[in-house]
Amino acid sequence: MHTSLHADHLSMGAKMGGFAGWDMPLQYSGVKQEVMAVRQSVGMFDVSHMGEFWVKGPDAVKFVDYIMTNDFNSAAVGKAVYSPLCRHDGTVIDDLIAYKIAAEEVLICVNASNIEKDWNWIEAQTSGFQIDLKDHSSETSLIAVQGPKASSILGELGLSTDIPVYGAIRSDSAFGEVILARTGYTGEDGFEVFSTHDQAQRLWRALAQHEVTACGLAARDVLRLEACYPLYGHELSDEWTPLDAGLKWTVKLDKADFISKAALKDYKPKLKLIKVLLDRGIPRDGYAVKNTKGDIIGKVTSGTMSVVVGKGVALALVDADKAPKIGESLDITIRNQDYPATVIKESFLKGGKL
Amino acid sequence: MSHNIPTDLTYTSDHEWAKIDGDVASIGITDFAQNALGDIVFVELPQVGSTLDQGATFGVVESIKSVSDLFAPLQGEVVEVNSALEGSPEEINQKPYESWIIKVKLSNPDQAKSLLTAEQYTEIVEAQ
Repeated sequence: MHTSLHADHLSMGAKMGGFAGWDMPLQYSGVKQEVMAVRQSVGMFDVSHMGEFWVKGPDAVKFVDYIMTNDFNSAAVGKAVYSPLCRHDGTVIDDLIAYKIAAEEVLICVNASNIEKDWNWIEAQTSGFQIDLKDHSSETSLIAVQGPKASSILGELGLSTDIPVYGAIRSDSAFGEVILARTGYTGEDGFEVFSTHDQAQRLWRALAQHEVTACGLAARDVLRLEACYPLYGHELSDEWTPLDAGLKWTVKLDKADFISKAALKDYKPKLKLIKVLLDRGIPRDGYAVKNTKGDIIGKVTSGTMSVVVGKGVALALVDADKAPKIGESLDITIRNQDYPATVIKESFLKGGKL
Repeated sequence: MSHNIPTDLTYTSDHEWAKIDGDVASIGITDFAQNALGDIVFVELPQVGSTLDQGATFGVVESIKSVSDLFAPLQGEVVEVNSALEGSPEEINQKPYESWIIKVKLSNPDQAKSLLTAEQYTEIVEAQ
């Protein structure tokens, strides 16, 4: 499948590759350069492959609050909430961001690889709610503009960026009406613009003319990993609960009933998500994690060379009862050789401190 | 599109180059390979003295997002490794044909005939 910006990616010389059935830009000028642009200036990403569902009607907020583990009910109109989407047994179907655009209008943005699975699940939960649920994924484009200069650049292009972090508004811009949200997946200030395909093409080209660095999915993955954001299929999966992936803060057991509340109420996590920093070597998804006694206690779920830290960094899921403490040493097995690593507390973005 | 493929080197379809000087071959990766990999951030080298069969994996180059094995174009014994690349792997991106990775003393110099000429390798690159 192609997004509305596919021809632009090709003409701008992107290296393309398959992702969840889409032919997407993996890289433009180079991963390092793209990551640094977002950290220091501003970069743009075509993430139109992601899914968008609209929930409208008197019970829209109540419904979205019921299907998610985080608290959507208490969020003000004009705010967004990140949450796992769970089955009754607490296992994770996907993670999503829900945008409270109006009192009776909610936009849900889901991972491209899970659109069909999410839709089938969500649609099956609607009975008893006065809502209208629609899948707008195929007619919606999504551009993420991320970095310290994102706000000023979008301002120059006539978008009103005076909204709080995790704010989301219907914005009448020079490109017509769009949904503008101060959300992202990079650890930097930034915005996501949901629009029609035509609007997205005009916005993308205008951003390119303003020398915003085009970034691919490879840089996006490094950026999210440096910020220690989970990615579905890596830290989150059908097999485990949010509590196994360090997402306790997104499971609000004190709110009204929601799907998975009964299961998660007394659940004792079996896994723990840890952040590790290596002196040498690059950890990759699937590599074994060993304690200093040499026992395998888990595996790397995401790993890369961090551009900001200049070292190998990883998120790993380990057995909860064998989980090492902050500052402890462990080993990552890379091609049959053990490389020393340290468990850290802060995200890699903050220098990966203890 | 023009490619940087020096005519005085020989090549493999795995995008390694070999420069043969007597019975010793210097081995590296091509400009096409470094460009396809992107920013190279890690190089794993073999031990000096290890022996390699033709086609055997002798090391690894990693970019930020990928891991690629290095294959020995020719059979022989590793007599030298370019340890400087461990500290500055980006030199492979900057100067792929000066950044030899290993030197191999050939145990079967006749194998060199099985390598590709610059012209043959150009055809492979252009087909990609």
